[in-house]
Amino acid sequence: MSFGNPLWLLALALIPLALFAQRLSHRRTRAYAVRFPAAATLQQALSEGASPSWRRQLPIAALLLAIAAIVAAIAAPRVTHRVPIRAASLVLVLDHSGSMASNDVRPTRLQAAIRAANTFIDQLPSSARVGVVGFSTSPDTIQQPVTNHAAARTAIDNQQAGGGTDTGPALQLALQMLHGGKRSHPPAAIVLLSDGAANLGVNPVTVAVQAHRERIPIYTVALGTPGGVLSEGLFGPTVPVPPDPQLMAGIARTSGGRAYNAHTEEYLRSVYATLGRSLSTVARERDVSAYFLVAAGVLLLLAVLGSVRTAARIP
Amino acid sequence: MPASDASTRAASPLLRPPAAPPPSTDEALRPPDARQGPGPIPAPLLDALDVGINRLIARTLSGSRRATGVGAGTELSQLRPYEAGDDVRHIDAAASARTAALHVRVHVPERALTTWIVLDLSPSMAFGTARRLKADVAEGAATVFARLGLRRAGSVGVVAFGAPGGPRVLPPRGSKPGMVAVRKLLEQGVSPDEHQEPDALENALARTFRLSKLPGLVVVISDFRDHREWERPLGALRLRHAVIAVEVSDPAESSLPAVGRLAVVDPESGALVRVDSSSKRLRDRFEQLERERREGVARELRRLGIHHIALSTDQDWLIELGRRIG
Repeated sequence: MSFGNPLWLLALALIPLALFAQRLSHRRTRAYAVRFPAAATLQQALSEGASPSWRRQLPIAALLLAIAAIVAAIAAPRVTHRVPIRAASLVLVLDHSGSMASNDVRPTRLQAAIRAANTFIDQLPSSARVGVVGFSTSPDTIQQPVTNHAAARTAIDNQQAGGGTDTGPALQLALQMLHGGKRSHPPAAIVLLSDGAANLGVNPVTVAVQAHRERIPIYTVALGTPGGVLSEGLFGPTVPVPPDPQLMAGIARTSGGRAYNAHTEEYLRSVYATLGRSLSTVARERDVSAYFLVAAGVLLLLAVLGSVRTAARIP
Repeated sequence: MPASDASTRAASPLLRPPAAPPPSTDEALRPPDARQGPGPIPAPLLDALDVGINRLIARTLSGSRRATGVGAGTELSQLRPYEAGDDVRHIDAAASARTAALHVRVHVPERALTTWIVLDLSPSMAFGTARRLKADVAEGAATVFARLGLRRAGSVGVVAFGAPGGPRVLPPRGSKPGMVAVRKLLEQGVSPDEHQEPDALENALARTFRLSKLPGLVVVISDFRDHREWERPLGALRLRHAVIAVEVSDPAESSLPAVGRLAVVDPESGALVRVDSSSKRLRDRFEQLERERREGVARELRRLGIHHIALSTDQDWLIELGRRIG
C-alpha cells in the first residue's frame, strides 16, 4: 500500500496530542471529585470486577482510531493489484532436443518442462492467448496463439525428446506468430526454455535484436545442471549436456526480457508460475480512501455509542 | 498564619487587617464547610435521657458500682430517729425541733460519676448528605453525654482522636469548667482531609483505659470506619466501665445512587476512585460490602456486651438517641 499525499500522515501526531490532553484532563479530576468516606469500600467493589478497565477505554480508543483512519484517508492510500492484460499473447518456445532426456532435473528435463509449462498456463487468465513452438532440430510442433488453452496443453504434452537444438529459427517462428507481420500488435512475450547451446541455424541473438525492435521481450529459462549427462543406452557412453546460461542471458538482455537458470523442477515451476502471473497481468494502483472513510465512520459510531453509556454524565 | 504574612497584609491599606484568630485554637482542627451544629437539645428530653442513662450505668443492682471513697458521703439518704450510738454531729436540728424527737441525717457515699467521651475527629466525620454532617451528630451526642455526665456532681473527660498530632485529652472536670472545655473542643471542628491513622481508635481506647482508674461511663462516638483492632481495648474498657458505642453513619455511605460516572476521593487516604455508578452490579456489590462491614461492627459490639446506638444523619438524632437509651 502506498500513499498519494504521504505528508498528510504527519497529522497522525494528533493522536499522541489527544492522549496527552486526555491525561491532563484526567489529572484535573481531583478538582471535582466528591469526598466520600466509603471510597475504600467502593474501590474494593470495583476491583472485584464490575466492568473491566478496557471497556472504559473503548470509546476513546475507537475515537483515536477513527482519527487515524481519517488521516490515512486524506493521505490518499492506494493499493497495487494485478489486472489481466487485454488480449495478451504469449508463446512458449520449448526445447525438446535429445539432451532434454537427461535426468539431472527430476524426473527428466522434458517432463519437468512440460509440467512447468502447464503450471504457467494455469496462471493465465482465460482472455490470454497462448501459443506453443516445440523445437529440436527444427521447429516442429506449432500451435498458434489462441485463447483455447487446451490446445496449447495438448501441444506441450506431446513433446518427445530427440534431435539437436535449433533455437534461432524457433524464436523467429514465434516472433512471426506474435506480430503476424504487422507493425502494431497486442502486448506479447516469448518464454523460451532450452537446455543447451544453439548448435544450428540462425544465431538466436540476431532474432533477439529483432524481437527488441518489435517490443516483444523474450524470457529465457536455462534448464539443467552444469554436470548434466546423457547416457545412451545401458552400456553406451555418457555425453555431457550442460546448459548454456550465457547465451540465454544474452538473448534475454538483448530483447528486454529476463533470464532464469533452473536447476530443479521446483524452481522451474516457480519461475513459470511467476512468469505466467507477471506476463499476463499488469499492476494497477487503486484509491482505497473510501474504505478508510467507511472504517472511520464505523469507529466514530462505536465511540459515540460507547460514550453515551459511560461518559454522558461527566460533570 | 505566619507572622510575616500577617504583617504584609496588615500593611496594605486596601485590605482589612486579618481577624485575630481566637486564642488557644487547635491548629490541626478545622470546622467542616457545611457544618450546622447539632441543633437544639431541649432540657425535658435531656431529663428523659438521664433516667435511661442512669439505668444503664446502675446496671441492675444498686451498689454494684464502687464509690469514690469510703465513709459517709454528702448525699442525703434519709432522716431517721436518733438511736444510741449515732454520731451526735449528724443530729438534724431543724427536723428534731419540728418533730420534738431527735433525728439524725443519714448520708450515703457520693455517687460521683466520671464520664469519658471518646470522640472521633477523623476527616471522614466531615461528611453528610442528609440533614446534618456526621460531625454534627457526633457533636450533639457528645454534648448530650457531657451534660448528663455533669449532673449529680459528675465530671467529664474527653479523648478526641483521628486528628493530626495524636489524641487530645481533656482531663475529667466537673460542672461549668467541664462543659466549657468540652464545648471548646467541639467547636474547633474535625481534622482536615488527607490525614489517615488506622489505629487511632485503638490508641484512644487504650489511652482512655489507662486514664480512667475508677469505674464510670465510657461513650465511644465514631463511625467505626477505617479503624482496626479496636475490639480488644474496647473489651478491656467494658470490664471496668459501662460502655456505650455510638455509631454515626450517613445514608450515602451505605448505598450508591445511579448517577453515571463518578469520581470520588477518600477524605482520609486521598485516594481517587473513578466508578461508573450506572452499573447495577457495582452498586449491589458496594451495598453488600457496606452492609457486611456495619454488620461486622454491630456483631463485635454485641459480642463484647456493649450498648450499641446507631445514629444516622438523615433522622432526628436526639429522638433516636432517646429511643435507644430510654
